[in-house]
Amino acid sequence: MAKIIVDHKKCIGCRTCEAACALKHAENVINAKKSRIKIFEVGPLFLPVFAGPYTEASCSNRRTMKFEGVEVDECIICPASCPAKPVFKDPDGDIALKCDLCGEPPSPECCKVCLCGALTFVDDKKPEAQTAKTAKK
Amino acid sequence: MNCSTGQLLRVNLTEGTINTESISSTIIDKYMGGRGLGTKILFDEINPRIDPLGPENKLIFVPGRFNGTPLIGAGRYMVVTKSPLTGTIACPNCGGHCGPEIKFAGWDAIVIEGQSPKPVYLTIDNDNVALKSAESLWGKGTGDTEKMIREEIGDSWLGRETQIMAIGPGGENLIKMASIMHDYHALGRNGAGAVMGSKRLKAISVRGTRGINIADSALLQKLIDEQYKKYLYPGNPGNEYWKIRHAFGTWRNLPNAQSLGEMPNFNYNEGYFPEWADFSLQKVAEEYFTGKSTCYGCPYGTHKRSKVTTPGYEGCGAGPEYETLGVFGPVCGVTFLPAVFKANYICNEMGIDTIDMGVSIACAMELFESGYLPESEVGHKLNFGNYDAMIDLVKKTAVREGFGALLAEGGYRMAEHFGHPELFMGVKKQAMSMHHPQGCQNFGLAYATCNGGANHTKHVVNFTNRFETKGAAEFIKDGQDFNTIHDSLGLCISVWNSPAVNKLDLPSFIEAAVGMKMDFKGLCFIGERIWNLEKLFNLRAGFTAKDDTLPRKMFEHPLTRGASKGQVVKLNEMLPEYYEIRGWNKDGIPTPEKIAELGLEAEVAALSGLAKGE
Repeated sequence: MAKIIVDHKKCIGCRTCEAACALKHAENVINAKKSRIKIFEVGPLFLPVFAGPYTEASCSNRRTMKFEGVEVDECIICPASCPAKPVFKDPDGDIALKCDLCGEPPSPECCKVCLCGALTFVDDKKPEAQTAKTAKK
Repeated sequence: MNCSTGQLLRVNLTEGTINTESISSTIIDKYMGGRGLGTKILFDEINPRIDPLGPENKLIFVPGRFNGTPLIGAGRYMVVTKSPLTGTIACPNCGGHCGPEIKFAGWDAIVIEGQSPKPVYLTIDNDNVALKSAESLWGKGTGDTEKMIREEIGDSWLGRETQIMAIGPGGENLIKMASIMHDYHALGRNGAGAVMGSKRLKAISVRGTRGINIADSALLQKLIDEQYKKYLYPGNPGNEYWKIRHAFGTWRNLPNAQSLGEMPNFNYNEGYFPEWADFSLQKVAEEYFTGKSTCYGCPYGTHKRSKVTTPGYEGCGAGPEYETLGVFGPVCGVTFLPAVFKANYICNEMGIDTIDMGVSIACAMELFESGYLPESEVGHKLNFGNYDAMIDLVKKTAVREGFGALLAEGGYRMAEHFGHPELFMGVKKQAMSMHHPQGCQNFGLAYATCNGGANHTKHVVNFTNRFETKGAAEFIKDGQDFNTIHDSLGLCISVWNSPAVNKLDLPSFIEAAVGMKMDFKGLCFIGERIWNLEKLFNLRAGFTAKDDTLPRKMFEHPLTRGASKGQVVKLNEMLPEYYEIRGWNKDGIPTPEKIAELGLEAEVAALSGLAKGE
């Protein structure tokens, strides 16, 4: 299966991924607020989160989780868009945005520009992970 | 227009009015955006002779033209104003995430004018712009102010998308070297924070959800992909450079400067600091750095989060960067790192430029040791290396207490008060940065000729031929012009002068993103136009060729140790040639031919009109 692996410990919050995603998904316009990946800053941490499927119902049992001793609202790292989490909605409409592992074959732009190695694209069909960190010259 | 909205937001604080205006595409293309656009607006709207802290002065926030794009290092924004520290035109430049957010909100420029009767702060959410009372924020530090404004927003999702710039007590108390802070990033130099304080504008919060038009997004994406493959991915020199930056940030400059003998210390009396001969970056990183953060679009992560636990010096935040490390360290003769961190944290919270603060204190230390500054004035001894006195003076300056009231006027005015302005290590009353001009001749020329006073970010420097004066004039002229373009595009000079990019690729990025076809020379020509417009402002403000100089010490006192031993700056070998290459006469005034070439006739005519009106 093709997927993006997130290592939040390597993220420094540069948000190049957001801009690269926005550039990829619209013609001749960049709107980082329509990006399908978002970096959240929680205390000293930067947490990259992808837009997953939209769900009509908000959770009623939100928890907090601990990341390296830092309390993080589970809602922040939840990939689902829902009425309680407006961040993966198109600001010009109500359309929910979702990561589509862009590229044909998939080669997501966000992973290509993540020099720090926080985002790695892996495809089981291909033995080697594709990321800026491991890319061949 | 691409990478530009053509929209200007005008906020008049005297009247409390908020208006929007269109900027013609001719102006934007002639000046590129960012620094160029801000300079043009300021030039057209204010008389260069006004009081910088009066209501007539304006603060023009301008995001770089490339802000918001995924281009590497395209996160810089600026504020253009008349500086209360130098009296020149000023363009302090800052990283972080504010510039792109201004762009997302749809503004090419935010013009703040007038003077509010009461403390206010400005909120911008796309078109929804409002002034709110800042009575409860007045007196608060910059970090607390950001926190309180976020709390006031209420909605945590909105809060996360909002970027905030704020002044601290430094700006409120009109400290001439006050900065505007944003998430520990600083619009640091030239005292822009004091201008904001004089307007009683505590902060600006901004959020936007608008798109930025791009000429050819597919081409831009292709160019960015190629750039990463060619320069940044493992196996390329850019990647090696990135690794060092990633690990140590700007601190990596310290061993370089030491080995070149251009690390200023003891108020620039020397260029090599033997006390730090064994300085270990690794040890510092392990002991004090707690994490990395960075500016928008920059993978370098040079902006280190840090923490100090040494009793009496506890604190946390970000930095210091190399400049601050140098100024509160070697320049003040201090080796005790927790004190350097502490002084940095206080400056950030109070909103004071660390470079000018530190150099001013070092100047006071030299005055004290030379017997020109009596102990009774300071309240305690002020020898080099007295770090507790250094920290105490930073605190006192922020609130203008005791000797701090003199320091608050800037190091030059303080030294002048004691009869020895030549001991202040600055140009046009602004402190030099952490590169000793005696260790690099062309750096000396750059300091002397910089329009906003001594600055390390307004030119490109040549360390390879650092003792050569031949060719320095041309190199610095080209570097200044190119750098003005960097600022206008919002590119970071640290990234764009590194092996991570090839700056000759810039025209192709401009073609893809903006849709303007021009070669590298054409680009620098726009930079030259902006540089000359700044110069015209300064000439009208009363500056002459006499101000394009360095402190006497740079010419008279050869360095006695390190790799630049024996060196003095030979400015007289470079300056006349520089004026000539610039197309200026021997008094440093642009010739009519140069003005015509740059298309600045109307601007010169406007200045003549001002002169006749007096």
